[in-house]
Amino acid sequence: MSLVTVNIDDKSYEAKENSLLIDLLILHDIKVPYFCYHESLGADGNCRMCMVEIEGKKRPQIACDTFVSDGMSIQTASEKISSVRKRILELELINHPVDCPICDQAGECKLQDYYMDFGLYDSNIDMKEKVHNKKHIALGSSVILDRERCVLCTRCVRFTSNITKSGELGVINRGDKACISTVPGMKLDNPYAMNVVDLCPVGALTSKEFRFAQRVWFLKSTPSICHGCSTGCNIFIDHNQEKYKEDKIYRIRPRKNREVNGDFICDYGRLSYKNLQENRQQELLNKSNVISYEDALLELNSKISGSKNIVILVDANLYNEDIAAISNFSQKIGAKLVCPTECYFDDSFGDDWLKSDYKCANLQAIKNYKIDSLFSSDQQIDLLINFNHPSFSKFSSKQSVEFSTHKGSSAELVLAIPAYSEYSGTTINDANIEQYSQKAITTDVATISEYLSDLSKVAL
Amino acid sequence: MIILEDKKIVSSKFHIENSHTLSVAKEHGTYSSIERLFTLSSEEIIAIIKESHLRGKGGGGAPAGNKWALMPLGELKPSFLAVNCDESEPGTFKDREIISKDPHLLIEGIICTCFAIKSHTAYIYVRGEYKEFSNILQSAIDEAYEAGYLGENIFNKGYKLDVIVHRGAGAYICGEKSALLESLEGKRGHPRVKPHQQECEWYFDNPTLVNNVETIASVPFIVKNGADAYKEFGTSSSPGTLLFAMSGHVNKPGVYESEFGICMMDYINHYGGGIKNGKKLKAIIPGGASTKILTADEVGLAKLDYETMKALGSSLGTGGMIVMDEDTNMVEALKNLLEFYHHESCGQCTPCREGTGWVDTIMQNLLDGVARGEDIEKILEISKTMNGQTICVFAPAVSDVIDGFITKFRSEFESYVREDLT
Amino acid sequence: MSFNFNDDNLEKIELLKSKYPKVQALSLPLLWMAQYQDGFISLEAIQEIAKICETPMMEIYKVSTFYSMFNLQKLGKYHIQLCKTLSCKLCNKDDVLKSIQNELNIQVGESTSDGLFTLSQVECLGSCGTSPVMQLNETYYENLTPISIVEILKALK
Ligand SMILES: Cc1cc2nc3c(=O)[nH]c(=O)nc-3n(C[C@H](O)[C@H](O)[C@H](O)COP(=O)(O)O)c2cc1C
Ligand code: SF4
Ligand code: SF4
Ligand code: SF4
Ligand code: FES
Ligand code: FES
Repeated sequence: MSLVTVNIDDKSYEAKENSLLIDLLILHDIKVPYFCYHESLGADGNCRMCMVEIEGKKRPQIACDTFVSDGMSIQTASEKISSVRKRILELELINHPVDCPICDQAGECKLQDYYMDFGLYDSNIDMKEKVHNKKHIALGSSVILDRERCVLCTRCVRFTSNITKSGELGVINRGDKACISTVPGMKLDNPYAMNVVDLCPVGALTSKEFRFAQRVWFLKSTPSICHGCSTGCNIFIDHNQEKYKEDKIYRIRPRKNREVNGDFICDYGRLSYKNLQENRQQELLNKSNVISYEDALLELNSKISGSKNIVILVDANLYNEDIAAISNFSQKIGAKLVCPTECYFDDSFGDDWLKSDYKCANLQAIKNYKIDSLFSSDQQIDLLINFNHPSFSKFSSKQSVEFSTHKGSSAELVLAIPAYSEYSGTTINDANIEQYSQKAITTDVATISEYLSDLSKVAL
Repeated sequence: MIILEDKKIVSSKFHIENSHTLSVAKEHGTYSSIERLFTLSSEEIIAIIKESHLRGKGGGGAPAGNKWALMPLGELKPSFLAVNCDESEPGTFKDREIISKDPHLLIEGIICTCFAIKSHTAYIYVRGEYKEFSNILQSAIDEAYEAGYLGENIFNKGYKLDVIVHRGAGAYICGEKSALLESLEGKRGHPRVKPHQQECEWYFDNPTLVNNVETIASVPFIVKNGADAYKEFGTSSSPGTLLFAMSGHVNKPGVYESEFGICMMDYINHYGGGIKNGKKLKAIIPGGASTKILTADEVGLAKLDYETMKALGSSLGTGGMIVMDEDTNMVEALKNLLEFYHHESCGQCTPCREGTGWVDTIMQNLLDGVARGEDIEKILEISKTMNGQTICVFAPAVSDVIDGFITKFRSEFESYVREDLT
Repeated sequence: MSFNFNDDNLEKIELLKSKYPKVQALSLPLLWMAQYQDGFISLEAIQEIAKICETPMMEIYKVSTFYSMFNLQKLGKYHIQLCKTLSCKLCNKDDVLKSIQNELNIQVGESTSDGLFTLSQVECLGSCGTSPVMQLNETYYENLTPISIVEILKALK
């Protein structure tokens, strides 16, 4: 496809011929208001907000239905355009409460942004005249609809009809009685349902989990990779440390990556943050007694030196950096390094979109390090060292040590380690793409690499 | 008073008893174009239609031949004809006359049209309310199948043609051609975003022609008698005839075919017997509710053709005139129409969905005596926002309606204003 | 509760399938069919139609709510649909409405207690030349007067 030059607000830009004007505007951060267009859902042309002025056209045109051609000249901020947008926005607001301070979407609502941008606070919209629609309708187990806030952009509808093809949502009725609904008695219920919350440009769809838990402007977003399965969807971990409280994750959101997950994640991954912070192993335990870091290392060292047949279990969720360190370590102490992968396999989880059959984030690293994935032991194991592998309890050994993120270990020596959200590292997804997760949450607990490097000092 | 000469192309059999039956229709000349039809090629027929300057009779007045020429002939995909009998524009009730009084003329027109555009399937989209009339149409179609005029091998000419009556279910917007096709695809009647180039319509991604019932019913005359015969009627740029109609305050409301170009007042007096109860004329909505209202003075200048009506700032539309006498309350009349549009907006795009409701609400306030002077400005402002920013021309039409009523009868609206309100 | 098209209709459906390029196009004809069969359109009928049209139930449901002639609730035996649009209004449909309301003692949107009549006002019926007009179930009654309407209603009681 050939490149063309277009002129936007008296500056030149290059773009692919016949590409969508709105994409170009978004790419270059040129302000254009829009509700219904979405890169993953395409254009629908219903909100009429993305108006621009195109030289040679009498009337304003919508940017989401304009294909760029060479020499095209566009104005996005002329007085004419601003007034058209302002008037359309004003109509949008007739039946939409401007009560941002109590709206859950405040801070992430386009209506609010545009309302501020166009200075409509002095507009003479009479609240009494508004059509009052039902608020707080549970669409399913996780999503709540507030019809008063809906701008009928149909993004949520197009998601269920074109992307998940589950078709639960639709616009019913007609004219200003039109509203978003499910079939009476039926629910919005599919493994990706909660994406509609991110898609909704206003506060009409909210997540039951997150609703009013935090105001978004308090949250910090850290880029990470979901560890729910081997797809490795790109996510943001949204967290906040309130005064005198622990740093806490409030939600997980998709982070755009065209090669991996586009704009979406599955609900399982989205809700996995709960498990990330519940029931966590915080202390170091020797036979259920809390011990110090130094004592723990000494105990581990003595267990290793007293054992002949050592097996090391490694979790296929650990970062590459951990797996490398563990692999080194196992060679050094002459242990057998294994990672039975059967326990991750669940073909009822996988589908033909994002979710994969293996519920672990770094299977590829296990393969790359040629770690035995079929191991089942018939020999007597003297010492079993587990690095958070879920099948630990299936193996019996004379002695056992477990590096564990969560409580409930039956090992004699239990060493707390951070969850993936609490330190940084890389994973390789099932398409062989290496991806980086950044540390989101602060913790005092030592990482596996720290343990192993400190252990080598003790062992000296 | 001027006596007009009857000039009939599509209504010539309306007065004949049982004209809806095949035998009577045939006796009076229906299907007589078929002989010539099959001696012509697609290209020749389209050329004749172009040459006749036949214009669409569903309200837009688009030259039919040009539209037919957009159909890709010799495509691998099947092509379709969708005949628009949604007829929901207030003041319009002419297509109903055709399907109930001369359905075979429509079938004949469909045969001509489909043969020209190489289509083997035609749908007639009839508004749901017209059940009684679509029953008559369906019986005529059944008769035509029986006679071999429709079906696998029509008139033994080796051409296959199916005609299917498809009933709407109560939605004015389904008269808009792309909404009609959406509805015919089994969906909600949402107009489609207009294509960037001139092209045919699409039914399930197949090339499709949409024409009004009366347009199609005019085709046999042209095929049989040639383009020049058609152009003998009407004016040079508005040739032919239209089933004009009158309703409201006239003595003899109804549908009367007339050639284009005659004076509106002559039409009203000649066919409609003048204004009811000897009252004076106040205004006429000339071509279905969505055309801009004309004051009595403007009506005096109006001629029933596309150009004159356009010059008057209105349009010929469907030719369905709504006549209002001197006692008509314009505020109530506009409110009545705005209720209609409020009810019928498909709700797809913001300016129309929200605008139609809002202007209706403000008008109610005006009638209730709780509106301020600035509310009239507000209506005009909303009306401006509805113009030119929407997916289809429904909203711009509403805008024109509002603009016409308020600018031409402003003092009546102002008399409802309560300035003492705060 | 479940909904099944009767044998007659099942036969018609097979025929209809051959007349459209895609089975989704059958949604309006089938909604009509269901409404004739039951007097209204139940969710069960919508489910059955969705199955035949090979589409999610929502697709049929949202279609059924778009068109004003589809009734998702049971109505009176006689559905009075009086046109309220301009030509009928100019020709005194308001007087006809009053006459109906007096005769039946119900307001627009209500049904008589015996379930015989439901009163609605509808938009232009495309019969403006013979206004005021009502559609009673599927039959047009034209050129109504406050007197003629009472006679019509009386005859139905
Ligand atoms: C809101 C709206 C309603 C319309 N209703 C009708 C209608 O009821 N019947 C009709 O023939 N055309 C109607 N039209 C015009 C159609 O879109 C289309 O132009 C017409 O059917 C084409 O046929 P023609 O060229 O033969 O007139 C309507 C257009 C709009 C915008
Ligand atoms: S709920 Fe949100 S996403 Fe869905 S149509 Fe309304 S505004 Fe758009
Ligand atoms: S598909 Fe897998 S990686 Fe993506 S969000 Fe779901 S569980 Fe996480
Ligand atoms: S202008 Fe009105 S009728 Fe036309 S598409 Fe928009 S909402 Fe629907
Ligand atoms: S984004 Fe272009 S019309 Fe909505
Ligand atoms: S206005 Fe009543 S039928 Fe047209």
